[in-house]
Amino acid sequence: MEKPTNQPIFKTYGMDIVQQVFSVSDFIAVVNQTFEYAYPNVEVEGEVASFKVNQGKYVFFDIKDSGGSIACFMTVWQLRVPIEDGMKVIVSAVPKLTRWGKFSLTVKSIRPSGAGAIKKSFELLKEKLDKEGLFAVERKRRLPSIPNHVAVISSTTAAGYADFIKILSDRWGGVKIDVANVQVQGIDAADQIIKAVEYFNQQQKLPEVIVIIRGGGSADDLSTFNDEPLVRSIGASRIPTLVGVGHETDESLVDLVADVRASTPSNAAQILVPDKHEIIRSTQSQVESLVPRIIQVVDQQKAAVKSYPTKILEKIDSAIDQQTGAISNLKNVLIQLDPNNVLKRGYVIVRGLIEVGSRIEIESNKAIIKAEVINVVNK
Amino acid sequence: MSSTNKSIQEKTTELSKLVDWFDGDQFTLEAALDMFKKAEKLANDIEHDLLLLKNEIKIVKQKFNSDS
Repeated sequence: MEKPTNQPIFKTYGMDIVQQVFSVSDFIAVVNQTFEYAYPNVEVEGEVASFKVNQGKYVFFDIKDSGGSIACFMTVWQLRVPIEDGMKVIVSAVPKLTRWGKFSLTVKSIRPSGAGAIKKSFELLKEKLDKEGLFAVERKRRLPSIPNHVAVISSTTAAGYADFIKILSDRWGGVKIDVANVQVQGIDAADQIIKAVEYFNQQQKLPEVIVIIRGGGSADDLSTFNDEPLVRSIGASRIPTLVGVGHETDESLVDLVADVRASTPSNAAQILVPDKHEIIRSTQSQVESLVPRIIQVVDQQKAAVKSYPTKILEKIDSAIDQQTGAISNLKNVLIQLDPNNVLKRGYVIVRGLIEVGSRIEIESNKAIIKAEVINVVNK
Repeated sequence: MSSTNKSIQEKTTELSKLVDWFDGDQFTLEAALDMFKKAEKLANDIEHDLLLLKNEIKIVKQKFNSDS
């Protein structure tokens, strides 16, 4: 900085004060130093106007309210949510006097403010990413049924994290859990979560699933999970992702891009591992169900044994019936062969020599006749 | 799955096979008692193993703030 030139002297309370004279560029530099000292990071809320992107790199807009307007500048890479004119936003920025003497805010980050703006920004980004296919069902991967190694991204002091770990430990054991402790709300949250996702994706031995956890909060608190780079980072993860953010009714873009969405952190634990108590009940129940099966077979065999005497008697009866039938048939044959029955049918029995002059006896059904053979004719 | 967990899964599979045996053609009353005792022991082992297992939680040392 050049040394001041003309140095007018003022007298105040008997002391001499040297009035410093600056060059223009020095004065701009001094003002900017003063700004940096007084407002190293200022947050300003207002409505966006004259929003435009130049050369695909530089973003210019004004932020205004009923009492004034300030020009803002940032790069497109810092623009993490869709912004448009009329949207109410909060910019995190450093005030600056340009070398052309214009006052502006150099914006480090910008986020929608108020329910209307947050919703509008959410819908714009959702539509954009949906068109790119980031939320497509075909992209969804299945989680391992019982994971062995899990990565968790959350704030270890958050209630949602405590709920998740408690439910997980109640339900299952033997899982290796690596936890990345990150902010889950605020300006730095999205970047920290992105770094954690990248960290786990770069490990030599990849975890089987990444779980991102955060409890409930205001729409502003949860807006971290609608951050475009974060959504893309989760979409690009090599490791399947499970997201349990907010309450059941909250929906974030991170929910949509994740492979599996849990309604709450507790629900994420329920999805991730089976319930050991349920498995214990199920195995015990399986074993107990064998007892009736054995009893049923024993009963069947007892009934079978009981039925044996009846079956034996039935067989004897059947044999007797068969024998009775056979005897009856034989009896009929014998009856048919009885000579008396033959005589009854008109036949006679001839006794004696069949030659002429011989005396013979003829027996019929009703008489015995003595006779003499007077002629024999051979057939 | 860790070796202990794997063992639980193996035991669960073995138990399922035993239970299936009771409904299969191989079932005989003479063998049923032994099979039942095996199944009962497996179920108790599974319960014991499950209740014994603890998760191993490790906070990674890596910092994720903008300075790191």
